[in-house]
Amino acid sequence: MSASPIALSLTTPQAPGGPGGATPPSLLLERLLVRGVRNVAHADVQPAPRVNVIWGNNGHGKTSLLEAIYFAATSRSFRAHRMGELVQHGEKVASVRARFVERWGDLPPLAREQVASIEGRRCAVLIDGNRPPSLASFATRSPVVAFHPNELSLTTGPASGRRTLLDRLALFMDPRSADHRARYDRALRARHEVLRRAERAEAVGDAEIEAFEELCAVHGAAVTRARAAAVTALGPELEHAFAHIAAPGLSLSARYAPGGSADVQAAREALAGQRRRDAHRPSAGFGPHRDDLELSIDGHPVRVVASQGQHRALTLALKAAETATIRAARGVEPILLLDDVSSELDPDRTEALLTFLGTARGQVFLTTTRRELIVTPGVDAADRRDFRVQDGAVTPLSPGERP
Amino acid sequence: MRGGLPARLARVAQMLARLPGVGEKTAQRYALFFATTADEATARELGTELVTLREHVRPCERCNHIAEVGEDGRARCAICLDTRRDGTLLCIVARVQDLLAIERSGAMRGRYFVLGRLLSPLEGVGAEDLPLEALRSRLQDPGEPIREVLVATPPSVDGEATALLLAREMGAMGIQVSRIASGVPHGGDLEFADQVTLGRAIEGRKSFG
Ligand SMILES: [Zn+2]
Repeated sequence: MSASPIALSLTTPQAPGGPGGATPPSLLLERLLVRGVRNVAHADVQPAPRVNVIWGNNGHGKTSLLEAIYFAATSRSFRAHRMGELVQHGEKVASVRARFVERWGDLPPLAREQVASIEGRRCAVLIDGNRPPSLASFATRSPVVAFHPNELSLTTGPASGRRTLLDRLALFMDPRSADHRARYDRALRARHEVLRRAERAEAVGDAEIEAFEELCAVHGAAVTRARAAAVTALGPELEHAFAHIAAPGLSLSARYAPGGSADVQAAREALAGQRRRDAHRPSAGFGPHRDDLELSIDGHPVRVVASQGQHRALTLALKAAETATIRAARGVEPILLLDDVSSELDPDRTEALLTFLGTARGQVFLTTTRRELIVTPGVDAADRRDFRVQDGAVTPLSPGERP
Repeated sequence: MRGGLPARLARVAQMLARLPGVGEKTAQRYALFFATTADEATARELGTELVTLREHVRPCERCNHIAEVGEDGRARCAICLDTRRDGTLLCIVARVQDLLAIERSGAMRGRYFVLGRLLSPLEGVGAEDLPLEALRSRLQDPGEPIREVLVATPPSVDGEATALLLAREMGAMGIQVSRIASGVPHGGDLEFADQVTLGRAIEGRKSFG
């Protein structure tokens, strides 16, 4: 297959009100120091303000570099099941040090250093040398939005992926939502364990069940409210993005399908009424762990009616909407991390991606196996930097350098 | 030999590594210290003290706080024996460390009851594993009737569930129950909450149950 170059229609945003020159995005990753993240033993990267192309063969560490950025920004990974996977084989510690610069209007830019590290099972984070009050407050300081091949299951796959999307948004709209979610999860599992013990005819008093049920109701209602608010913010952005990226003629709608209730008393009663049944199933029949974000095109569930191309466009629209929602909630332009753009070379798919990227206003990092195909006519040479990743080593390439 | 160390030394290091907050490296340093730098008396004295510690120090029989065993062979802590304290107010905590943290804040003038553990079904701890019988008899002690209980379990899920369970138990006994006010970092240990925060949390307690 002869692939045509991907011309990224990125432009540098102009300063409002005239020819005063270009303003860089409001959030920039200025420098990244990586130690022992998967196969990247050591890297010192100084990205360009607009586009950063990470180029190399598969398996050499391109995605690990994106993962390192994601880790420094959020303390999480977008692909690991256990955070310990990030630690390079044979090493004890993985750490990433990132210097972010944030701009607030005409005020002088403000730089901060975020450090995230994993030692054994423990993850530690610092902002300018201090421990943040919570992981949620750490994860919302420097917003990033990642798009990687796994996310193609966002529209067709299990609801858990869509819940995770809503939770990421909720975090920016109300940082306490993460705490409610963690508490809900633990209380729910504890209630289930108590119910199972009660079923095995062990002496379990009602007081013990009620104690955990109460926490399920209180924290579950808070999770339901946070997700409902996230859907309210995401919905219009998603409809707009889908019309832009897919087809203007189709109408997409996103609806929150809550598995629980925002009303604590209603949740209490529902849980109390389902004890016996809940004891015999893998998890409770009521509560936000059963939430879904229902997507439909012209009134029909996307799972049923959407073509493969539409699923793809919808996934990109979800990412564009996520970016816009975070921008609105947090007041800065999220950094975009795109993994494996090479898989987009199929011409049908490329167009949707290009339209999506045209909406990107922030700093972009993308990985590819075909660097020569990424052309960025609207971007100044100084605003783009390419890096080669080979055997875990990251080398900057000079602008004219040919592979 | 383990890691080039004589077996006896490695064994001592392993025993020391069981202590809270002591990692393998520190344990090895301690073991080497006793084997080389320290004079013999240091090790002997420490050993003797450790062996007899349990004879002299035990959980208080009224509140489970740590107590010195008296002449009569009974263990009663300084707080339970202090007659200037408000005997009608009882503060329930999970661990001795939490009691000490609250004492440092100076905001609690009553007595204590240490549960020793929290309700935690996921770790196999159920209500039957809590000292509820001892707590009940403490509450109904005719010599010192309790009128108000402050539940100061940590603000974790297990701590909150334990508080709810206790509130239900005691509400049925007609005792006024209040919960330590939030302000203590969520999921955090009372032990590490600063004194001002903890003081405010105790003064700002809310009745519940
Ligand atoms: Zn005592």
